[in-house]
Amino acid sequence: MKTKPTQRPTLPQTVLLLASSVLLLALAAHNVNAATQKIPRLANGKPDFSGIWQTTSAADYDLEPHSNRKDAPPSAGVVEGFYLPYLPKALEQKQKNFAERDKLDPALKGYTLGVPRGIYYPEPFQIFQRKQDLTLVHQFGHSVRTIHTDGTGHPKDPYDWWLGDSRAHWEGDSLVVDVKHFNDKTWFDRAGNFHSDALHVVETWTFLDPNTIEYKAHIEDPNVFSKPWDLSVMLYRHREKNFQLIEDYRFTLDYDEHYPPKPDGK
Amino acid sequence: MKYSLPNRPLGRAGLVVLSLLTTHAATAEDAKPTENAAAQPTGAAPAAAPRQPRPLKLGGPGIDQERSFKPISSGKWTGPRLADGQPAVQGHWSNTIANHNNFTDPQGGIINDPNPNRVAKGPREERAPSRVSDPADGQVPFQPWALAKVKDFQAHFHDPVQPQYIEPLARCAPAGIPKSLYWHGYQISQYPGYVLFQFNSGTRIIHLDGKPHLPDNIKLWNGDSRGHWEGNTLVVDVTNQNGKALFGRSGEFISENGHIEERYIFSNEERDRYIYQATLTDPTVYTRPFTVTVPARRWSAKDQPNGWHFEVEPANYLGKDTLKEPILDHYERVCAENNGGFGLVAEESAKK
Repeated sequence: MKTKPTQRPTLPQTVLLLASSVLLLALAAHNVNAATQKIPRLANGKPDFSGIWQTTSAADYDLEPHSNRKDAPPSAGVVEGFYLPYLPKALEQKQKNFAERDKLDPALKGYTLGVPRGIYYPEPFQIFQRKQDLTLVHQFGHSVRTIHTDGTGHPKDPYDWWLGDSRAHWEGDSLVVDVKHFNDKTWFDRAGNFHSDALHVVETWTFLDPNTIEYKAHIEDPNVFSKPWDLSVMLYRHREKNFQLIEDYRFTLDYDEHYPPKPDGK
Repeated sequence: MKYSLPNRPLGRAGLVVLSLLTTHAATAEDAKPTENAAAQPTGAAPAAAPRQPRPLKLGGPGIDQERSFKPISSGKWTGPRLADGQPAVQGHWSNTIANHNNFTDPQGGIINDPNPNRVAKGPREERAPSRVSDPADGQVPFQPWALAKVKDFQAHFHDPVQPQYIEPLARCAPAGIPKSLYWHGYQISQYPGYVLFQFNSGTRIIHLDGKPHLPDNIKLWNGDSRGHWEGNTLVVDVTNQNGKALFGRSGEFISENGHIEERYIFSNEERDRYIYQATLTDPTVYTRPFTVTVPARRWSAKDQPNGWHFEVEPANYLGKDTLKEPILDHYERVCAENNGGFGLVAEESAKK
């Protein structure tokens, strides 16, 4: 699964190969170390993901491989093994969702996108990080998610949440987040890929360099899928001058015209 | 898999609905007669005897806990600081005098309420002062046209026959400024370059990073906020407002042309107190700038969580009880649109 940059593979037997491999590996390790040593860190030495991030992937259009469509650019997909392992009944539901995606996609209402969709939806989100937690503020729907890194566990008597309950720990320089206790109101993408409230997500966040995060999500939902599956996208740091989040409560647009009061006749 | 609402009386969505729907219940609870008052024959309170204000318990469940508060002056900060030098003020905060029912008479209940409290509220001077601290009459210096709009809203709040009489908050719009500071409790978190407010409906990122304001044709529910610390005071300049968030169920408002200068003055004497002071300027709506004052205090693990000021629950420590400070999880702050009795529900029932 996760590769540790400092871990070196067993060296081959032959002396010649050994020598050249050592040289190559040393160079590679040097490069990786140079990249990871430069990543921003909190005072406690943990990687600091603070910043504004966004994907350039087409994941939100459709996680699976797809040709171009009127409503989507083509993409080879972001799922390991390419296709989601739907149970037969769930596949029928997905196909219904797909057929009516221009009406049923929860994102069209501007609602909270859930996990992991909010991460690879093509709008920026900002991470605010302290020792005890990361707070993710999404521009879209302006939803807010807290990932706890204080050693606490999932609540014993939980609600079902739009964004689930996120508890994390560090594995080396990777942040591993266990997310569960979801509701079933969100989708994975605009193509109608969906989940039930039994969704369980394990995210892995790893810096590839100071401005790139490799984001992986391991997805389980026994009500919908025959086996777990994995997706992976890259997140890039916004570095434009004066870039900032701009609040986006688009679900208020439908009644926007009624406020504020204006002088009569205007 | 269980859903929140059937299992608990206060699911996240339920809390929002509850707070929109049960103001009467909450204020009535808070207004239970004292023993003295109950012992008095109805309508025969002796005029000469000083009236006993109903007791307010700090940390109790009610929305109003104080009738008066001490001023806090701007000056040096002598308390703890974060690594980046900011005064350390993180935590769960809430106002102490009331909610958004009534802007200028915070403990006076909803204006034109068809179901007013069973218990008389007593004279105005026994209730918390107006949130308008300047001018001295406690009233917003509205231009005549704007005052007429406010009165019109107050007349129709309980009978929202037009969409503009439905409070935007009931449709899960952000409460805006200043209402976010006295609706429910909220969390303040601090980071190098930022102060983050997580309200019950909406989030505010206060930039301390020196970036310029957004271009002025971008209009936002919570405006665009640039702040800096002056000793014990967080000074925030707010522009780019869309003017759509009302200040309360009493309908006061600002326009897109408004400008708000906020001062969050944190106490050195009582570390868990601050006073919010905002100067609102708007030549479209007001005749002069005016000042809003809201007292706030920080809630902690010593307080009982409740559905108003302190919506948290103890974290799951996984058997590790050696932590020095109890940790509190706040509830998810997601409001699904139109889930309140004053929103789509009222609109649809009006059609029937």
